Amino acid sequence: MHFHFIVVTNNPLVRERFEGQVPLDYQPRTFAGILEYVRDQIHKGHRLLSHPLSGSVKPGETPYKSIMISAEQGALDTDSVILIEDCIQHAKKFRDRISGLSERVLDDFQLVDCNLITSAIESALTGH
Amino acid sequence: MKLELGHIDIHDIQFAAESAVKDGVLYVNAEAVKALVLEEENLKGCQLEIARPGESVRITPVKDVIQPRCKVEGPGGVFPGFVSKVDTVGSGKTHSLRGCAVVTAGKIVGFQEGIIDMTGPGADYTPFSKTVNLVMVCEPVDGLKQHDYEAAVRIAGLKVAAYLGELGKDVTPDEVQVFETKTLGESFTEYPGLPRVAYVQMLQSQGLLHDTYVYGVDAKKIIPTLIYPTEGMDGAILSGNCVSACDKNTTYHHQNNPVVADLYAQHGKTLNFVGMVITNENVYLADKERSSNWASKLCEMLSLDGVVVSEEGFGNPDTDLIMNCKKIEGKGIKTVLITDEYAGQDGKSQSLADADALATAVVSGGNANEVIVLPKLDKVIGMLDYVDVIAGGHDGSLREDGTIEAEIQVITGATNELGFNCMSAR
Amino acid sequence: MSKLKVLQYINQFFAQIGGEEMAHIAPELRDGPVGPGLAFNAAWGENAEVVKTIICGDSYFNENLDKAQAEILEMVKSVGPDLFIAGPAFNAGRYGVACATIATKVHEELGIPVLTGMYKENPGADMFKDKIYIVSTRNSAAGMRDAVSKMAPLALKLARGEKIGASIEEGYLPNGIRRNFFDKKRGSARAVDMLLKKLADKEFETEYPMPLFDRVAPNPAVKDITKATIALVTSGGIVPKGNPDHIESSSASKYGEYCIAGVDDLTAETYETAHGGYDPVYANEDPDRVLPVDVMREYEKEGKIGKLYDYFYTTVGNGTAVASAKRFAEEFSQKLRAANVDAVILTST
Repeated sequence: MHFHFIVVTNNPLVRERFEGQVPLDYQPRTFAGILEYVRDQIHKGHRLLSHPLSGSVKPGETPYKSIMISAEQGALDTDSVILIEDCIQHAKKFRDRISGLSERVLDDFQLVDCNLITSAIESALTGH
Repeated sequence: MKLELGHIDIHDIQFAAESAVKDGVLYVNAEAVKALVLEEENLKGCQLEIARPGESVRITPVKDVIQPRCKVEGPGGVFPGFVSKVDTVGSGKTHSLRGCAVVTAGKIVGFQEGIIDMTGPGADYTPFSKTVNLVMVCEPVDGLKQHDYEAAVRIAGLKVAAYLGELGKDVTPDEVQVFETKTLGESFTEYPGLPRVAYVQMLQSQGLLHDTYVYGVDAKKIIPTLIYPTEGMDGAILSGNCVSACDKNTTYHHQNNPVVADLYAQHGKTLNFVGMVITNENVYLADKERSSNWASKLCEMLSLDGVVVSEEGFGNPDTDLIMNCKKIEGKGIKTVLITDEYAGQDGKSQSLADADALATAVVSGGNANEVIVLPKLDKVIGMLDYVDVIAGGHDGSLREDGTIEAEIQVITGATNELGFNCMSAR
Repeated sequence: MSKLKVLQYINQFFAQIGGEEMAHIAPELRDGPVGPGLAFNAAWGENAEVVKTIICGDSYFNENLDKAQAEILEMVKSVGPDLFIAGPAFNAGRYGVACATIATKVHEELGIPVLTGMYKENPGADMFKDKIYIVSTRNSAAGMRDAVSKMAPLALKLARGEKIGASIEEGYLPNGIRRNFFDKKRGSARAVDMLLKKLADKEFETEYPMPLFDRVAPNPAVKDITKATIALVTSGGIVPKGNPDHIESSSASKYGEYCIAGVDDLTAETYETAHGGYDPVYANEDPDRVLPVDVMREYEKEGKIGKLYDYFYTTVGNGTAVASAKRFAEEFSQKLRAANVDAVILTST
């Protein structure tokens, strides 16, 4: 099957659930690190396909982030550049309170992130 | 479509042997309510508590708030798609128990959020400090998955609200309001001199714990559509949204949508309120493009002069809000947007994740990052052990003396983006 | 609570010394209130009192900026007030800039609570509203009573270190810091009101102005660069050595126009930067680093461009109000156009 997207994630649950199912780029980075990595990918010609600040769980609260980008590399997509830069700026104003979270809370954050990206994957698999 | 909404004023809730509404008091048979809750096979326990305005009580973590209502005349029943069949609602007569609410609580996820203080400084920020609340703390069966737990609590809450609402069926309302929206054709001849206005409501629809249901359908699967504003009053739109207490729309908010109420208040006087468009806030960017295209197209088809657009949530939905604004303005239709702000604790950061020059008219529900200190209250309904990790809480937010230092985003309904509150920011 | 000691700054006009013909007078410290101070004292009653007044001519202040500020700071130190009030200046441009400048200086240098007031379009407002509280007043002195009624209570709060509410409650110009407050109507009703005004093309005020940057649509490409006359324009502050027009190192109020006909290279002996706020060493060592005259001359000789225009335009970007920058550009763009310049290279610091 040909996929037109790649999921960039630092979420182990996303890896576990989708490895071998859809194209994954697992990057064990911080939340901010994922945003910056995706920015770099955009500058290499990938396009954003899902919103980088999906979910109402705020940056600084959850360590997990999964973002879908295009598999194809084309000309630089300025809309994607603007969106990812806005999101990086926006994420910076939230205080970091991730340290000391319990396993249970981390598991739940993984689950929510996984569900958010799942809804993007479902949309991506049914149309462009 | 015409709905008579009869308000029965409730000033107290009391536990009693028999459930009834009498002289403004809602009597509740706790056993009957618990039995109803435990019909959900995924729930093994339910603690019921009453929280009254002014009492030294803190309810947390709040999941949903629901107003007891029942259908008295007309097709269908309340909460179609869940409690009732999917008949089209919003016409005939409905009774509403005004001044009270069912509050569901329980830690669906470890960072479950939402505080309602019935007194003190926190009470000023939530509308549910002014209602008498029947609080249901629902305990899941062992090993239950989070999404099953969410669904079980959601449905149990709706059933209890419907059960209590039914108690008001034969009670004479203290006030009756009549709301009517004509067919599209009639709307052109009814008030030809007045500007044609509609309401575009954006529904949270990003995934687990970020869901809204319309007649039982998950809103992320809908294409933007038209709905009579009265349908929401019968519970056609309801909340499966657990995250971001301050700006999620509870089911109570949907039932009492203030934009709908305030547009009806001007209907036939200064404007012609012709209808309502519901749209979603999906994660997938192409979905956003499609939905905003569709919402603006519907506005065009309705021949509108102006719309009020309300958002739900933060970040991702800011993009939908701005897309809707640009595309609707692009059709020559004037927009006013309702949002809230995340301007940082110092108020100095940019409030939204997106912006556009066409968004010239914006109403703000306030800065959700503003810090508040909530004093220790005598009684906690629910549990405090997750306050440190709830949205907006931070290390040390639960102090040793029992006070909580947190951002107002922990408070249920504090910066509501339907414009339910008086709070704003400048 | 003891009576708070207030020092007020006013100009020659409000001290009833005279108008423009007296704008040159140097700062003077007088006992008690003068002019508007009387109205403030009446508003404060037993809570606070203007004990001394500084009077300074607007031209003196603006033309001797460093000296005037130093003199006034000394006066403030000698009085040691609990609060420093400047103005209100209404729509008087130089007075407004003076009030805001000296109030900011007093606050930053001496840590004394300060307040000023002026019309929202006064250039002083745009330059300083993010630094100090500036109460929004009407555009003429006829609004004195209204100005005092807003400034007096806010001044007390500032002097007492009390919590300051949102701009709309306290009457100061929005300063980019978002603060919550409880409005009289709920949000949905405010939205409907706003929509009705927008539909009727009446004036309305958004509760959240979008933070927007001016986006300038690019011009079509220059058809033949080898024939084009190109000008250099900079906000990097490059000026002939000695800064003959005294372009300010920050919050510039003017720009310069200098001839570079026959100049092939900018050197440390002939040019420098007037710009404050960044390390000027490298710019002063070789001003071409900011205004690349040397490279342009090479290109001119090699035929890569048609001609380097004989004049360059320069100002200092450091803290300069957007409104001032716009005004400068509107002026010199006309000159560039009149001289048939085809393209401009803009450089910053």
